Amino acid sequence: MNNLKLFKRQTVNELSTFYSFLIGFIIAIIIGSIILLIQDKNPIDTFSLMLRLSVGSIKSLSSSLNKAIPLILAGLGISIINSVKLWNIGAEGQIFLGAIAVNFIYINTQFNSPSFHILVLLLAGFVGGSVCILIPAITKVVFGVNEIITTLLTNYIVFGVTIYLINGPWKDPKSLNFPAAAYVGEEVFLPTIFGKLSFGFLICILFTFLAHYLKNKSVFGFEMRIAGGSAMTAVYAGINAKQKAFIAMLIGGGFAGLAGAIELLSQTHRVSTGISQGFGYTAIIVAAITGMRPFGIFLVGSLFGALSIGGSVIQTIGVSTYIADIIQASTLFGALIIQFFFNYQIKRVDDD
Amino acid sequence: MKKYILEVKNISKSFGNVKALEDVNFYLQKGKIHGLLGENGAGKSSLMNILSGIYQPEKGSIFINDIKQKSLDPESASELGIGMVHQEFRLIESFSIKDNLTLSKANIYKDNFKEAYEKYCEIFSLSVSPEKLIAQLSVGEKQKIEIMKLIFKNSNIMLLDEPTAVLTPQETDQLRISLERLSEEDEKTIVLISHKLKEIRDFTEKVFVMKNGKMVAEDLSTVNVTDDNLVELMMGRIQKSIIDKSNKTGDTKLSVESIEYIDKVSNYKILEDINLEIKAGEILGIAGVSGNGQVELANIISGIESDYSGKIIINNKDVSQKGVKSRKKLNLSYIPENRLGVGLAPGVSVLDNSIVRDYFKTRLGPHLSRSKTETYLESLIKKFSIKAPNSKAEISTLSGGNMQKLLMGRELVSNPEVIIASQPTRGLDVNAVEAIHTLLVDQRDMGSAILLISEDLDELFKLSNRLHVMYEGKIVKSLDIDTADINNVGLAMAGVIE
Amino acid sequence: MIDIQLIGLLNATLQAATLLFIAALGELITEKSGILNLGVEGMISVGAVTGFMTAINTENIFFAVLVGVLSSSVFASIHALVTVVLKQDQTVSGLILTILGLALSSLLGKNYVGRKLVTKLESVTSITEPSNIIEVLISQNIIFYVAIVLMIGTSFLLKRTMFGRRLEAVGEDSKSSDSMGLKVAKTQFIATCVGGAFAGLSGVYLTLSYVPYWTDNMTSGRGWIALALVIFGGWKPYRTALGAILFGFLEALVPRLQTYGFELSPYIVKITPYVITILVLVILTIYKGGKTGAPKNIGVPFFRENR
Ligand SMILES: Nc1ncnc2c1ncn2[C@@H]1O[C@H](COP(=O)(O)OP(=O)(O)O)[C@@H](O)[C@H]1O
Ligand SMILES: [Mg+2]
Repeated sequence: MNNLKLFKRQTVNELSTFYSFLIGFIIAIIIGSIILLIQDKNPIDTFSLMLRLSVGSIKSLSSSLNKAIPLILAGLGISIINSVKLWNIGAEGQIFLGAIAVNFIYINTQFNSPSFHILVLLLAGFVGGSVCILIPAITKVVFGVNEIITTLLTNYIVFGVTIYLINGPWKDPKSLNFPAAAYVGEEVFLPTIFGKLSFGFLICILFTFLAHYLKNKSVFGFEMRIAGGSAMTAVYAGINAKQKAFIAMLIGGGFAGLAGAIELLSQTHRVSTGISQGFGYTAIIVAAITGMRPFGIFLVGSLFGALSIGGSVIQTIGVSTYIADIIQASTLFGALIIQFFFNYQIKRVDDD
Repeated sequence: MKKYILEVKNISKSFGNVKALEDVNFYLQKGKIHGLLGENGAGKSSLMNILSGIYQPEKGSIFINDIKQKSLDPESASELGIGMVHQEFRLIESFSIKDNLTLSKANIYKDNFKEAYEKYCEIFSLSVSPEKLIAQLSVGEKQKIEIMKLIFKNSNIMLLDEPTAVLTPQETDQLRISLERLSEEDEKTIVLISHKLKEIRDFTEKVFVMKNGKMVAEDLSTVNVTDDNLVELMMGRIQKSIIDKSNKTGDTKLSVESIEYIDKVSNYKILEDINLEIKAGEILGIAGVSGNGQVELANIISGIESDYSGKIIINNKDVSQKGVKSRKKLNLSYIPENRLGVGLAPGVSVLDNSIVRDYFKTRLGPHLSRSKTETYLESLIKKFSIKAPNSKAEISTLSGGNMQKLLMGRELVSNPEVIIASQPTRGLDVNAVEAIHTLLVDQRDMGSAILLISEDLDELFKLSNRLHVMYEGKIVKSLDIDTADINNVGLAMAGVIE
Repeated sequence: MIDIQLIGLLNATLQAATLLFIAALGELITEKSGILNLGVEGMISVGAVTGFMTAINTENIFFAVLVGVLSSSVFASIHALVTVVLKQDQTVSGLILTILGLALSSLLGKNYVGRKLVTKLESVTSITEPSNIIEVLISQNIIFYVAIVLMIGTSFLLKRTMFGRRLEAVGEDSKSSDSMGLKVAKTQFIATCVGGAFAGLSGVYLTLSYVPYWTDNMTSGRGWIALALVIFGGWKPYRTALGAILFGFLEALVPRLQTYGFELSPYIVKITPYVITILVLVILTIYKGGKTGAPKNIGVPFFRENR
């Protein structure tokens, strides 16, 4: 025992993130099973039910993918911001403000062409998300205030504003016991592609490529990487690191805001507290677990979307929906633990 | 009586592909001062780190007082009386001297700190209050505290890793006297690492020599071995080329006029009235102990630091108000002292790091062509014989020499007219140093004007046409290379100007 | 003679401040060792629910506090395992700890929503309607006095004891501390668990006295405000307490504004603490000009052989 020693690996397997995720997911399923067993539920039955109800039919598959849209978009936003090594914990608030912006523009403008109208509303959502992160971005870049705390606090602020709006100025008198704003007109509903799958999913695919391009193929992405790698190198290279960080934050916030717009235009059709059910937080897991890779975020986001749907339907058999949250968080913890074994090596040392 | 107080047999240690130590033997006699000699990267620090329990060896055994040690960690090594002064300071800057001396559990002066502190202050000729914070000390004072730390935790075996690198010649002399007293009065066993032959000669009785991770000479008596002998052991048979200084020089490419720079935080004058001029085909060396304003000067010339007064003229254009990018466009290259952190961004790929200088020249609107950058990197790798695992690898997986070659290659490939090279060979092995010197001289012959900032006098004498010596932010001496010698430059570096 | 409203305000201030302060103090200890734990919100939540469940089931208040404190501490040890032993990213781990903690406590507390407590954490004296400042101060909940003891104790520990100096040394410069023979990993592991225990205490105070019931997400961002308080206090216990009183005052004042004649939407009132936290952070950062007093090694994983 005494001569087992820890060594750091100089090269890390390129697929380590993927393997860590996979094993982490298995670990999480085991943890989920244990929790189910404690609650006197059969894990195999429960998980197969979850599977069937989340991907077993076109209908359920499309609701799973619909659920994935905000996770993916917000996750992409987080990953863009993380290119400059900053964290966006405020995606939840950005989703809400995106939806609020959509409703604001919807109430105050008039367009003849519905498709143009939708486009404007989507853009409004994006801008809303950017506006939501504006204060954290300014305070970070100008004064160096910790962005983790400020972005997080904006969630509570925006949520409070939402409650205020739907109970006050925007309150729909027809919605009696559930406070909400009035529905938007059907002409601005996002169309569906097949089944219930929203057109938003196509936007999501487009934005995945966009994020990939921005991060990995563009000059801006390069500048973000250098700025994130070392502020001194950025100065040395003549790259304005603060400007890159600011822009990255606005874009990242915009992605989450767009998610809010899509959620409103395709799912809830009105501003309510149901615009997001913690998507902004789950998106952090999605982004972190993939090592901030856009295509990874797309895949894991889809999986987690299905998991959330599965989690909400098993409520009917008396299993808490929180099981899905716990599996998602445990996956990341499991992945972190496995990642250790890719970074380090435990070797026996001969002392002859 | 035991022959050796410490004995190491067949130790091996590697970092990835780098074999830092291969089957190394090493042994120390009680109460003596031992020298450990070797070029940068030879493995000296790795060996000391293993003895003090910081690194784990993959193979080999360690005996202390003839007892085999199963495994060492810093705490157990301390208990066995091994203490190490690391190459970089291991002091907690925001803590007081007293805290730093007494935090260790092995501290033996718990109750009589005051007397002990006074006693050793006398030995080290130090006069500062123990309540003073480390951050407020001079480099020389910090080094004394480092050594005192070992005494406070009662280390009988003191491993000193290049303690003189940060000291002036005068402070080095003082250190020698203190160490002699410690070995005589307290019977301390001391290892002194250095790559300066003179110090090995002055300080030590026994000498070990390392090269490329191997111990190439063991337990030589310092008095019996010649300098030539040691140099050959240390460097192998590489012939240090003599560089022809009779090359043609051209027009003035860089001129710097009355630069003055005041640090905003401390309000301290870092640079004062700096004037210099470099012609095409000329290398101007700046000698000086680091921390005398060299970094700031380089940053001002390259455009990183903009808040100064004075004039910078590149190629007859006044660029005093211009930023980094426009100076680069006038074909200025800067090889910063801080390789990883300034010149190269840690955590970022080899590929990204290779285009830091010229990416804005090759961009296509917002698009960064992957194939173009890959080709660019490949050409750098070929031209400057850089060894890198692959283009996506993180930059710090490269060895120091290869990092520097990538950095130099990136900065030199476009044939710049003005080059600022700051400590370009610090921490590199002999072969890498030779390669980098050749690069600089070739560049000189192609007509670049080069400002070479270095602490290494051999390097400066070898490469420069002219020398300036910096001390406390001023150029205190300017010499033609023919009239410069180690003595007059060394004294000026220490602030002694006759 | 003092205004009865003012007495109420003072009372509420101290209660709110106690809750924030204990969690912040725990995080301060963790951060002093160089570990950033963003999981405060989750840890408070776990302590709150486990304490509440125990109180309902055993009706033993002391045992309930103990369970709440211990379970948060064990929960925090996940973060310690992942970041200290396995050297993974502290930001990621802490965030997930929050998410996991909130989900876990909702799962655990599912059947306890709306249940009534039989025993609560009580105030130390029998004064139910204090009429002057002295009476307010001597009629607080027992946790208030525990918090004062913890504050003095922590400050003393950090400044005056070898243990505290070593803890701080590890957080300032883990490499140097290690080479001095200090146990970096052990120190950080313990500090993280202690931080968890403090958050747990704050949690049981929440459910066993402050609001005495359980609902989902009832921590409502207090963990994050506690994190901000550590920054506000410049990593010093007394200043953090001052910050907690300021924030407690705001939390207590805002719902009372109406009684002082201000017309404000109750919904807007609810968000003011968050707005003010951001404002305070900004003002403070500008004022300090970057010198925050944060431990230098915070967030940096330690591995002995790293260069
Ligand atoms: N912690 C480390 N991680 C990776 N490589 C290291 C580490 N320490 C030393 N090395 C490598 O081991 C070799 C020997 O280094 P070192 O012992 O520092 O040499 P010296 O002290 O003689 O200059 C070098 O190639 C160096 O890059
Ligand atoms: Mg060394």
